[in-house]
Amino acid sequence: MDADRRAQWLRGVLDLCVLGLLDSGESYGYELAQALGDAGLGQIRGGTLYPVLLRLQRAGLVTTRWHGGDTGPARKYYRLSAAGRAALTQASADWSAFTGSVRTTLRQEER
Amino acid sequence: MRRTYAVAEAALREMARRRVVLAILLLLPLAFYLSRRGDHLGQSIRFVCLGLGWALSTAALFSGSAGRAIEPRLRLSGYSGRHLVGGRLLALWTIGLLLSTPYFLLVRFDQHDVRYGAIALIMALTVAVSAPFGLALSAILPRELEGTLVLLVVVGLQMMVDPADTAARALPYWFTREIGTYAIDHTDRGYLDRGLLHGVLAALVLTAVVTVAWRVRQGPRSHLEFVPLR
Amino acid sequence: MTDDAWLAALTGELRRHQVGPDLTAHVVAETAAHLRDSGEPAVRAFGTPREYAAAVADSVGGPDPSRAARPVGPVRLEVRGVTKRYRRRPVLTGVDLTVRAGQVAAVVGANGAGKSTFLRVCAGLTRPDRGTVRVYGRLGYCPQDGGTSEFLFPDEHFALVGAGRGLSRPDARREGRAYAAALDWTPPRSTQARHLSGGTRQKLNLVLARLGAPDVLLLDEPYQGFDRGTYLDFWHEVWRWRDAGTAIVVVTHLLNQLDRVDQVLDLTRAEAAA
Repeated sequence: MDADRRAQWLRGVLDLCVLGLLDSGESYGYELAQALGDAGLGQIRGGTLYPVLLRLQRAGLVTTRWHGGDTGPARKYYRLSAAGRAALTQASADWSAFTGSVRTTLRQEER
Repeated sequence: MRRTYAVAEAALREMARRRVVLAILLLLPLAFYLSRRGDHLGQSIRFVCLGLGWALSTAALFSGSAGRAIEPRLRLSGYSGRHLVGGRLLALWTIGLLLSTPYFLLVRFDQHDVRYGAIALIMALTVAVSAPFGLALSAILPRELEGTLVLLVVVGLQMMVDPADTAARALPYWFTREIGTYAIDHTDRGYLDRGLLHGVLAALVLTAVVTVAWRVRQGPRSHLEFVPLR
Repeated sequence: MTDDAWLAALTGELRRHQVGPDLTAHVVAETAAHLRDSGEPAVRAFGTPREYAAAVADSVGGPDPSRAARPVGPVRLEVRGVTKRYRRRPVLTGVDLTVRAGQVAAVVGANGAGKSTFLRVCAGLTRPDRGTVRVYGRLGYCPQDGGTSEFLFPDEHFALVGAGRGLSRPDARREGRAYAAALDWTPPRSTQARHLSGGTRQKLNLVLARLGAPDVLLLDEPYQGFDRGTYLDFWHEVWRWRDAGTAIVVVTHLLNQLDRVDQVLDLTRAEAAA
C-alpha cells in the first residue's frame, strides 16, 4: 500500500483506533504504538501518537494515571472514560457508514 | 544626592577595575619627581605637581569616555546633567585626593625648607582643576586618543613656556608654577594670591565648560515632551 | 544529539510554547519512558524538540493568541510629523505614530530607512528638523548596542539604573535578576560587561530598559546575537509587558512577528514617498 496515502487516512482515524484499542483495557503509549503496528496500520511515531493521546485526555475521552513499573520507569497509563466509550460507539457507527459509502462509490466503476 | 552618589560610586568602581591604567597613573608623578631630584630639589616639586595634574586629567579623560555609552540611558532613567557630571567629578576628586596624599607625604619628608602648606594647596588645586579638565576634553573630543594628545601638548607647554609670559596664564596649570615659586623660593605673598586666584578660576571655568559641553553633546530635546502620569 | 540533551531541549521548547510546568514534566517523563521502551533515537521517534513541542502545544490548545478582548488603554506615545534629514538626504518625512497602553508597534524598513533614527528621536537623543514627540509617563530605551558600562558588573548596572528610577539597591537587583531569568539568563556576580558575549550584553541592555517598569518601551532590534530560544523568550516577554499595559515600539526586520503586533510603521514607504 502507498505509505503516504495510508498515513493520510490514518491521520483521520488514529484517535478512533486508539479509543478502540483502549476498549480492551488500560494501556500506555509504547504498547499502543506496537498494537497499532501489529494491527497492520504501519509504524506510528511517538511524535504523532502522544499529541493524539493528549487531545483525547483534554477532551475527557480517556483518563490517565502514572504507574511505576518495578523494573522500568513510571509510565502514563490511559483508560477509556465513559464519555470515551460513548464516543467510540458513535464513531464506529459513523465510520461504518462512511466506509460503506466509500465502498459503494468505488464499486460504481466496476459496474 | 542619592543619584549623584550612585554615579560617583559607579565611576569609582570603573576606575578601580582598570588596574594597569591606575598603576601607570600612580607611578607617573613619581617618575617626574625623580627625574629632577638629583640636580634641583625645587624643580622636582614643580614636576611632581605637573605629573599629578597630567595623571589625574588623563584619568578624568578615560573616565569621561567610559561613561559615554551608558549616559544617554542614565539620562532617560531619571538622572540629570547635575547628577551625571557632579557624580563623576566627585569620584575624580576623591581619586585625586587619594593619589596626591602619598606625594604630599613624599615632599613633606624628602624636602626641607619649603612651605608645606602651600604645596598642599598646589596639590588640592591640581586635583580640583584636573578632573573637569579631563572631563571637558572627553566631552569635546570624539575619542580618547585625541584627548591624550591634547593633554600631552598642554603639559609639555606648561613645562617649557616662561611663566612670566602673559599667554602662559591661559594654561590650566599656570598656578602650580606661581604657588610653587612662593613655596620653594620663599617669595612674597603676591605669588600665592595670583596662583590661588588662577587655580580657583581655572577649576570654575573648566567645570562650566564640562557642563556646557555635556549639554551640547546630549543635544537639546525641545521636540520631546514628557507628561507625568503619577 | 543524545536523548538526554534532546529531552532537555524539549523541556526548554515546551516552556517557550507556554506549556505549564506540570504538563511539561509529564510530557517529558512520558517521552523518556517511550524512548527507553522502544530503544529508538529520539529524533526518529519524535522529530526535533522544536517540532514535537509545537505539536504538544497545539494539541493542548497552546497560548491564546486572540487579542480581540484585550482592552487597549490611553495614548502613551504620540509622534507627530517627525522629519529628519542627514546632509540633504531625507531620512524621515512627516512620520506619525500613536501607541496606546497595551499595544505593540513594529517599525520596519530597509537598512538606512531611518528606523534607529526614529527611535532616537522618540527617546530625545536625536533632535528632528521638524515634528514633536509626546511621552506619557516614563520611558525605557534599549539601543541597538552600547547602553552598558564596560567595567561594571550586571548587578552594578541594575543598582545604577535602578537608583535613577528610585529603586533601592536590593529592589533593583531583584527586579533585574527576575527580568534576566525570563530571558533564560542568570547574571554572573563578578563579570564585567565587556567580558559578556554580544548576545548576553544585549540581554543586559534589555533588562536595563525594562527596569523600573516604564510606561513606554522603545526597543531597537534588541535581539541581535540572541539564539533562537532567547529570541522566542524575548517575544514572549514583549507580549507579557504589553499585556501588563506597556506601550512598546520595537524596530524589527523579522517579518514573522508582524501578524502579532498591533500596528506596523513602514519607514521604507515613507522614504520612497519623499
